[in-house]
Amino acid sequence: MTILEFARGPAFQVALTVFAFGVMWRLAGIFLMMRRHDFSKPRKHSLVAGGVRAMAMRSLPPHELEKKIVFQHVSGYAWHLTFFVSILFFAPHIPFFKQFLGFGWPTLPNVIALLSGAVALSILLALVWRRATRPVLRHISSIDDYISILLTILPLVTGFVTYARVMPFGLRYETLLGFHILSVCVLMVWFPFGKLMHLFLAFPARFQAGALLRRKGVEA
Amino acid sequence: MSAIIQNPALDQFRAGLAGLGGRASKAKSTDGERLERAKQVMLRELDGSHAAYLETCLHCGMCAEACHFYLTTEEAKYTPISKVEPLKKVYRRELGPMRWLRSLVTPDITLEELESYQELVFDACTECGRCDLMCPMGLQISPMIGIMRRALAAAELLPPELAAVAEEQKTKGTVFGVGREQVLALAAELTAKGVKVPVDQPRAGLVLLTSAIDLKAFPGSLEATAKILNRLGYEWTLLSNSVELLGTGESLKELNVRRIVEDAIAREAKIVLLPECGHAYPALRFDAAHMIGEPVPFEVYSIAEFVGKAVQQGKLKVKKAAAAKVTYHDPCKQGRHGGVFDEPRAAIAALGLELKEMESHAKTNYCCGGGGGQFLIERAAPLRAKAFEIKMHEVDATGAGTVVTGCNSCRLNYANGAANANWHKNVQSLVELVAANLE
Repeated sequence: MTILEFARGPAFQVALTVFAFGVMWRLAGIFLMMRRHDFSKPRKHSLVAGGVRAMAMRSLPPHELEKKIVFQHVSGYAWHLTFFVSILFFAPHIPFFKQFLGFGWPTLPNVIALLSGAVALSILLALVWRRATRPVLRHISSIDDYISILLTILPLVTGFVTYARVMPFGLRYETLLGFHILSVCVLMVWFPFGKLMHLFLAFPARFQAGALLRRKGVEA
Repeated sequence: MSAIIQNPALDQFRAGLAGLGGRASKAKSTDGERLERAKQVMLRELDGSHAAYLETCLHCGMCAEACHFYLTTEEAKYTPISKVEPLKKVYRRELGPMRWLRSLVTPDITLEELESYQELVFDACTECGRCDLMCPMGLQISPMIGIMRRALAAAELLPPELAAVAEEQKTKGTVFGVGREQVLALAAELTAKGVKVPVDQPRAGLVLLTSAIDLKAFPGSLEATAKILNRLGYEWTLLSNSVELLGTGESLKELNVRRIVEDAIAREAKIVLLPECGHAYPALRFDAAHMIGEPVPFEVYSIAEFVGKAVQQGKLKVKKAAAAKVTYHDPCKQGRHGGVFDEPRAAIAALGLELKEMESHAKTNYCCGGGGGQFLIERAAPLRAKAFEIKMHEVDATGAGTVVTGCNSCRLNYANGAANANWHKNVQSLVELVAANLE
C-alpha cells in the first residue's frame, strides 16, 4: 500500500470516524448537561430573538473596542474566508468532494484559490507570532492553541508543496499528495478535542448569552 | 471648588473600616477539607450553560480590553478569562465530555493555587460584567468569577476584610456594626422629624429594604425614599432586619434572601423595593427565584428604577432642579446585570437637568472600581485608585459638574477615589435629588 493509498483509504476512514463521533460526543456532552431553570420574571420577553440577535451582533466588533481590536477582528474574518475559499473552491479539491458527497460545484480560477490559501497561511503565521509575543495572549494561551494552529498550517503548507510539485527529498508527487491528505486527516482527528470545535459551538454560546442578557433587559 | 462630598457620616464610616481585616479569624479546617469544599462548590454550581462557555473560549484576549483593571495596569494576569483557570481545570477533569482524556493531561487544583487566585478574583475583579458584553463568543465570565469567589470562600480564602464582615454577620447579625437596633433608631428619628417611616408592619403592599451603607454613611437616602413613598401614598413598611442582605458570605446571602422573600410573602407584599444598593438588585430581582425554586409572588424594583418609573407614568411630579450639567453613573448590578437604564434617565430629564453621557455609559459603563466588596480590601487600594482613573477621565470629558447615581456603594467608591486623587466632583444620589424636588 502506498502512502497515497493509505491516506485516501484507512487513514481517511479513521479520521472521518473520529471526527464525526468526537464532534457528536462533545456536542452531546455539552448540550445534554443539566441546566438550571430560571424562574425569575424576564425583564424583557422574546428571549429567542435576543439569542438570535447576539448570534449576529457578536460577529461585529463592539463599538467600545473597535479601535483596539482592528487587526484581531479583520484578520479573524479574513482568515475564515480565505481558508474556506481555498478548501471549497480550489479545482483540484472538487473531484474529492464529488467522490465523497456525490456532487460537485463550480470552482474559482486556481490563482484566486491559491492566493486565498496564501493569505490564510500568512494570517495564521501572524496570529502565531502575536500569540507568542503579546503578554495577554501568551498568558492565556494553552498547548491547544499552538497545536490547533500548527495542525491547520500543515494542510496549507503540504497543499502548496504538492500543487507546486516542489518534490523535496526527491519525493514523488503521489507521495506528496498522500502527505497532504494525511495532514488533513490529522487535523480532522484533532478537531473534536481542541478549540477548533468553536466552529460548532460559537453560535450556540452566543445564542445562550443573548437570551440570558435579554432576560435581564440588556441587549447582547 | 467644593470637596467631593460633605458628609461627616461618610468620613466616620470610612475611618471605621480601617483595620477591618484584623478582626477576621484564621482558617479552622485542614487544607484537605478546604480544597474539597472549594471543589464541591465548583462541581455543584457548574452546569450546561457554563460548559458551553468554557468549551468555546478561543483565548483571543479581547476580554482584557474590556476590563478596567487590565486597561489601567496592562498586567496580563488581570485578563478576565484567566481568572477562572481553576474552574476550567475542574470542569475539564471532572465534568466535561472529554474528561476521560483531559483528566490525564490536566493537573488537579491545589489549595496554594486557589490562594494565588484570591487577588485576581477579589482585588482585581468587581464582577462588573463588562467583559461579558465584549466577548466575541458570548462568554459570560463574571458569573464564573462568582463561582470562583464562592469556592474560595468555602476554602476559607476570603480576603480578611470580607471574612471579617461575613463573620460579623454570621455571629452578631450585624454588618459594619449596623443591625436592627440602628434601623429602628433611624426610623424613629425620621418619624420624629415628620417623615413617617413604618417599620415591620404585619401587612403592607410595599416592603422596603435598607442597607448598612445607607445607615452608616448615607442616611439621607432612606429619608428621601420614605418621603417619595409617602407622597405616592403607598401602604408600605421598612423591614428592620433587611441590612443583613448586604452579606459577603454567599450562603449567608442565600439565607437572607430566603428570609426576606418569606417576610415579604407573609406581609402580602406586591412590591419589594430595594435601596440604592447595587448588590441587592440582582440578588432579589433574579437570584431569589432561583434560590427558592419558583417565581417570587411580587415585583422587585431598585429605588432608582421605581422612582423613574413613577415619573414616567406621571404618578410622581417633580419640579425643575437648579440648572446643571450632570452625568449618570450606571451601577453595574442595576444596569449591565439588571437592565435598569431608561428609568433613572427619565427622572433626570424630569428634573430638567442637562444629561451629558460618558463615552462608556449604560450597558458599557465602567465600574466605579470598588464593587463586589472590593472597596473593603485594604491591600487593593492602589489597584482601585488606578482603575478609578478611567472613571475620572470619562466624567471629566463630559464637562458635567455632578455625577448622579442610584447606588450608595458607587457613591462611596467615588468618594474614596476622589479623596485619593484630590478630584473635585459632586456625587449625588438620584433618589435624594428627586425627593428634594417633589412638587
